[in-house]
Amino acid sequence: MTNHTPGRNCLIVAVLLLAALFGACKPSGEESSSHPPVVVFKHSKLFGDPRPLAQLLAEFERANPGVRVRAETLPAASDAQHQYYATNLAAGAADFDVFALDVIWVAEFARAGWLRDLSHLLPAAEREAFFRGPIEAVTWEGRAFALPWFMDAGVLYYRKDLLDKNHLAPPRTWDELLHAARTVTRTESGVHGFIWQGKQYEGLVCNALEYLWSHGGEVLRNGQVVLDSAANRAALTFMRELLTSGVTPEFVTTLTEEPAREIFGRGAALFLRNWPYAWRLFEQQGSAVRGKVGVSALPHFIGGKSAATLGGWQLGVNRHSRNPQAAERLAQYLTSPAAQKVLALAYGYNPPRRALYEDPELLAAQPFFAELRAVYERARPRPVTPQYVRLSQVLQAEFSGALAGLKSPSQALIDAQRQAEAILR
Amino acid sequence: MTREHPGLFLAPAAVTLGAVALFPALAVLWLSLEERSPLLAAARFVGFDNYTRLIADARFWNALANTVYFSAVSVALEVLLGLLVALLLARAFRGRALLYSIILLPWAIPTVVSARLWEWLYNADYGVLNYLLGTHVNWLGSPGWALHAAILMDVWKATPFVALLLIAGLQTIPRELYQAAALDGAGAWTTFRRITLPLLVPLLLVVLVFRTIDAFRVFDAIYVLTGGGPANSTETVSIYAYKVLFQALEFGYGSAVAVSVLAVVALLTAVYARLLRGSMT
Amino acid sequence: MKLVRGMGLILVAVWSLAPFAWLLITSVKPTPELTQLPPLLPSAATGAHYLAVFTGHPFLRIIANSAVVAAASTLLALAIGATAAFALARLRVRHAPLILAAILAVSMFPPIATVSPLFLAINAVGLRDTLMALIVTYTTFALPLAIWLLTNFFRQVPVEIYLAARVDGCSAFQAFTRVILPLSAPGLIAAALLVFIFCWNEFLYALSFTSSPAARTIPVGIALFPGLHVVPWGEIAAASIVVTLPLVVLAFAFQRRIIEGLTAGAVKG
Repeated sequence: MTNHTPGRNCLIVAVLLLAALFGACKPSGEESSSHPPVVVFKHSKLFGDPRPLAQLLAEFERANPGVRVRAETLPAASDAQHQYYATNLAAGAADFDVFALDVIWVAEFARAGWLRDLSHLLPAAEREAFFRGPIEAVTWEGRAFALPWFMDAGVLYYRKDLLDKNHLAPPRTWDELLHAARTVTRTESGVHGFIWQGKQYEGLVCNALEYLWSHGGEVLRNGQVVLDSAANRAALTFMRELLTSGVTPEFVTTLTEEPAREIFGRGAALFLRNWPYAWRLFEQQGSAVRGKVGVSALPHFIGGKSAATLGGWQLGVNRHSRNPQAAERLAQYLTSPAAQKVLALAYGYNPPRRALYEDPELLAAQPFFAELRAVYERARPRPVTPQYVRLSQVLQAEFSGALAGLKSPSQALIDAQRQAEAILR
Repeated sequence: MTREHPGLFLAPAAVTLGAVALFPALAVLWLSLEERSPLLAAARFVGFDNYTRLIADARFWNALANTVYFSAVSVALEVLLGLLVALLLARAFRGRALLYSIILLPWAIPTVVSARLWEWLYNADYGVLNYLLGTHVNWLGSPGWALHAAILMDVWKATPFVALLLIAGLQTIPRELYQAAALDGAGAWTTFRRITLPLLVPLLLVVLVFRTIDAFRVFDAIYVLTGGGPANSTETVSIYAYKVLFQALEFGYGSAVAVSVLAVVALLTAVYARLLRGSMT
Repeated sequence: MKLVRGMGLILVAVWSLAPFAWLLITSVKPTPELTQLPPLLPSAATGAHYLAVFTGHPFLRIIANSAVVAAASTLLALAIGATAAFALARLRVRHAPLILAAILAVSMFPPIATVSPLFLAINAVGLRDTLMALIVTYTTFALPLAIWLLTNFFRQVPVEIYLAARVDGCSAFQAFTRVILPLSAPGLIAAALLVFIFCWNEFLYALSFTSSPAARTIPVGIALFPGLHVVPWGEIAAASIVVTLPLVVLAFAFQRRIIEGLTAGAVKG
């Protein structure tokens, strides 16, 4: 066998490949100006049947002849999306028009000049139709830069059956929760007391703020950093005590939403702090805790009020969009009561509109909607500042250090205060 | 003899690298001298300010320490284990091709998947590792264990890279040398020390350099495994650079952090080259 | 000694295979059992996850994209790299060590820092969301490894062989293709496999440069499996098995047919 044949074969393969490539290499977004304007809608994958969303978009096209909509998905991880948007928008990309923003990005993106001012789509009457939290989150320097699409807030899940067995009422205060957890875990084996999200990531800040706020503490007050306060110290100390007392297992420092949800869903926990999405999964066929789960607002410290961190996604319009009017109409359409109701029924996404919490169909689908409304009224956004993501990194690291026992809660707050002041100077 | 034209041979590589890699490389270097962020009104040239800020940045030094420790231990283990595996597979035996492709598996699995896989294996509640050992160690949630957990994962993933290359290296050592040594009555260890190892050293240098470069730039695997926590105990320089660039949107400072990786790696490479200089042909 | 070797081989096989076996088990476990331990093995194997991978996503297209990108990048990187490596190994190149160092420096930049400037460049030439963008990028960043590896392997071929070929009347290029390349087959294959795998699994550039399914590659495809809060472990495991097997088959084929075929006869020195 001569040595030419493999070389020639390689060359042939290479040529064929390159030919296939050039065929495959047409950028799919290329549109000539004679085609109808295409509004590109970028969002993270909605888990479930893709048809309801597709139908919504088709309806929009019907109501807006001359406009086509193309939906494109991004990975669900918030960080991956943030990176994608930062890379593209910093380069002035105009190939998506409407996109979904995490609730903590709006001020940042607004400051960066990446969002169109949507204040005209949220006149006073319309703003009243939404809960206060999401409106606060989408407002920067007095103007609205995104429309609230769906929202989340931290809630407490508990095992009704285990509490009833021990003649305990659902806890209203953190002390009651501690007491209930200790009582039940003494008699039930294989059941953790209280599960939440303690990994070093954004979710940890969501959890921690619920304790801080409930104790009357704050991160910012009138633009000043007030992390190093007695109230915050007490709250963070309590979080650490949850671990040292054994009510919360030490591996809570590895938990995010889903792993925490799975533990409770297996019947291995008495209390769980999570977002409302988990309810559906607990109540589905084959769930080990079906019919045994109750939901309520999170407990509060004595003398404080129950607090819930606001989560959720908003729709913004790319400042460089080539079809701004069509894009704005799409954003408005997707956040309209009718569309939000469809999304709530199909995907379990909670609408940020007050009126929908009296809708009979939605109430039938999610029985604790009434309680949710009360929680949502009080849901607070994390500090609304363009520097929030930087601030969050500091908070995550310091809170994580306190939880892991690397430093005392007081020291963690002192260090956090110092670094936060440097960021927000 | 006809003329050699080294320039022609080098041209395609020069053009490719020049056209594609030169711009980003220069851009990163230039950005590191600027204060540039979409959150600021305008970019401005700040000279070495980013670097003085870096030197005073405790979080950077923490990340660097984590990275150095991670790289040193990982690379050492990978090269040792890779060499052992390569020696085991050096000589032909039945089923060698199958084993060759099996040992490649860790390297072949997408990083995002293998990181989640290990996250699962390390799960304190229902992870296989705790199950098999009968323990309840909080592998990924305690600052003491987390970095070592990441090291183990990286060693598992990257040993095939070393093994693959060393196998190829061993396969090109002329058989006559071994036959001559056998005739001379040399034992296995002597053969290894006097024949195999010296002939492998140039390749080992390449492997060491590239594994060090990769270990220093490690990002995906650890980010998925721990996100840099707990308490930044697994935050490597690349993760820190990622957070500065893509979360804090500080393109100037983030580029400076990235350049620091370049500097340290370049230094290490020079050290390697010097140490192994005597063995290079 | 043989026993030690045998045990060592078994250990290596288990160490490499075990986590992968866990992935395999997960891919056929019914969904409710996915996060429970015990039981280690599924109560009843299900193909539902594999079905979901292909029906819920344009996964065949995604695999095809990855195949095209990886194959093209590997071929290009090896062709360009081997040519340059040959010059650096056997021809008189002024400042060869300096050139090698400069080439190495390219690979020292963390990708997270270069992704933004590259994105700008890719955008500027209109290659956004194309496979071409990935091929160009991967080829470029695989070159340092390819060149360094191949320089090393080419140098290991005794210089007498090269000189003999030249004396016989071959031009440098002919000596390169007819004599040096075949003798470096193990090294070429190893380099090719590594570059291929790198392209197959690369995530950061793929995520940043592409957005539509037409140009999507496997790592981004898998990253799109999870929804906002739900992670479909079964599907992810199934997809991972599907995309890893071709690499294993490729490695097996190359090792068995090419390397063992070529080194069956001793290398004449």
